[in-house]
Amino acid sequence: MGRICLVCQNIDCKTRGSEQLTAELEKRIAAKGLTDVEVKPYMCFGACQEGPNIVLYPEKSWYAKVKVEDLDDITNHLAGGPHVQRLDTIDSSLKELIYQLLDTGVM
Amino acid sequence: MKGILFPHGVPEGREGLEQYRARGGYQALMKSVKAAPEEVIKAVSDAGLRGRGGAGFPTGKKWQFTREAAEESRYLVLNGGEDEPGSKKDRVLLENLPHLVVEGTILAAYAIGANRAYLYINARYDDAIKSINDALAEAKSAAYWGKKVLGSDFSLDIEVIPAPHNYVAGEDTAVLEVIEGKKAWPRQKPPFPVTVGLFGKPTAVNNVETLANVAPIVLKGADWYRGVGTAESAGTMIFSLNDDVNRPGVYELPFGTPLRYLIEECGGGIKGDKKIKAVMPAAPSSAFLPLEKIDTPLDHNSMRDAGSALGCGVVKLISTDDCIVEELVKIADFFAVESCGQCPACRMETNTLAMMIKKVQAGQGGQPILDQFGKILAFNKGKGFCNLIAMPGPPIESALKLFPADFEAHLSTGKCPAH
Repeated sequence: MGRICLVCQNIDCKTRGSEQLTAELEKRIAAKGLTDVEVKPYMCFGACQEGPNIVLYPEKSWYAKVKVEDLDDITNHLAGGPHVQRLDTIDSSLKELIYQLLDTGVM
Repeated sequence: MKGILFPHGVPEGREGLEQYRARGGYQALMKSVKAAPEEVIKAVSDAGLRGRGGAGFPTGKKWQFTREAAEESRYLVLNGGEDEPGSKKDRVLLENLPHLVVEGTILAAYAIGANRAYLYINARYDDAIKSINDALAEAKSAAYWGKKVLGSDFSLDIEVIPAPHNYVAGEDTAVLEVIEGKKAWPRQKPPFPVTVGLFGKPTAVNNVETLANVAPIVLKGADWYRGVGTAESAGTMIFSLNDDVNRPGVYELPFGTPLRYLIEECGGGIKGDKKIKAVMPAAPSSAFLPLEKIDTPLDHNSMRDAGSALGCGVVKLISTDDCIVEELVKIADFFAVESCGQCPACRMETNTLAMMIKKVQAGQGGQPILDQFGKILAFNKGKGFCNLIAMPGPPIESALKLFPADFEAHLSTGKCPAH
């Protein structure tokens, strides 16, 4: 299974720019030649007030309040660079809940 | 037993003012305006009247809180949003017994000290709105409401408000938002409407059926009322049966009547050549009851002890030909669509549950995905402004416990055992 970047696409995150973020992320991933990474929409992570949210799986990194300026650091992480600590602000119990769901392999 | 609301059986036509007066109509009001408002509250409290909108909260207590709130003005709201799928009781009362509802509303307003009442009625109920408007006109010309009701010092203005027909628009505080001209979004509680309600003032929001019980209680007394039903759930309740029985309709029964009686004697049993597998006593948000519990009495405590709830009495049958997974897909989709979306936790929970159950339906995820249902529900417990977030829980958790074979069939074959 390849790696995925889930970008929240619920109405709240959309109004915070998640569609543009998705398009930009796809471009940067392609530019880096990361052919094993797929960008996918996700309906809602339950952290709307912290949106837009991007979750990397199976890395299990959850980046919140992501702006276009943050995308190079996220792409860099996908290419083997460091975890972007400043965007890792989500409560650990919510993260665990969503990661367990993703672990079922069907989402 | 003669009904309290339907003394002559389910009414087939509209009862006009003269017919209503001929059977004692508005006598409760005549008696009450000569006495203190607290007398009405006392009668309703002593009778043990509980709300019929689903929660079963003691009506007398709600009125007392509203009356005691330290404010000059107060409001009374009749909640006839009736957005519960399959519920027909409020519609029947509004259409056919409008004066019973109007008298109850006036008595409630008098009891809490409200000079303005709003009748919030499902906008799709054209006939109900017309029936109520006609009844209001008749009642006003008889001085039952307006300036100086029946010559007393009590004045009351009444207005009909058409209610949007999405599910959450029937939630008490969403009702208040709509009356204030805003979107039907529930408010965070506390404060509760009894202290901070409509336009910031103390407000009692009561279901149609609840208020229809008030005039009979005031007229005939609490002891008479307590003679029907059970100690904890006095009086009767109107149940709605739909197309899954031979005789769909509304049925008024004393609290405590066995569920089986409603299904078999009133509804004529399950439709077609089928057998009952489970019953949902308060569709779509209650736990399923297995067939073994079909003799459970229809009252709040017995239903709670049996692991389910009475809600507003929409009873749904699941047959042995039905698959519980397919039922859950419909239920989970309903709540995902009807979640208003203002609370992130509710949005995530309802959408995630709907997506998960569809994965199960398609045979994906295995045991690990079944294990996630309880975790998603537990994580979101107590979150959100209204109770919608809690509603998918009982059907899903009871189904997982009672009918594991249905889930297993989907997960092992990807196909529904019922089709």
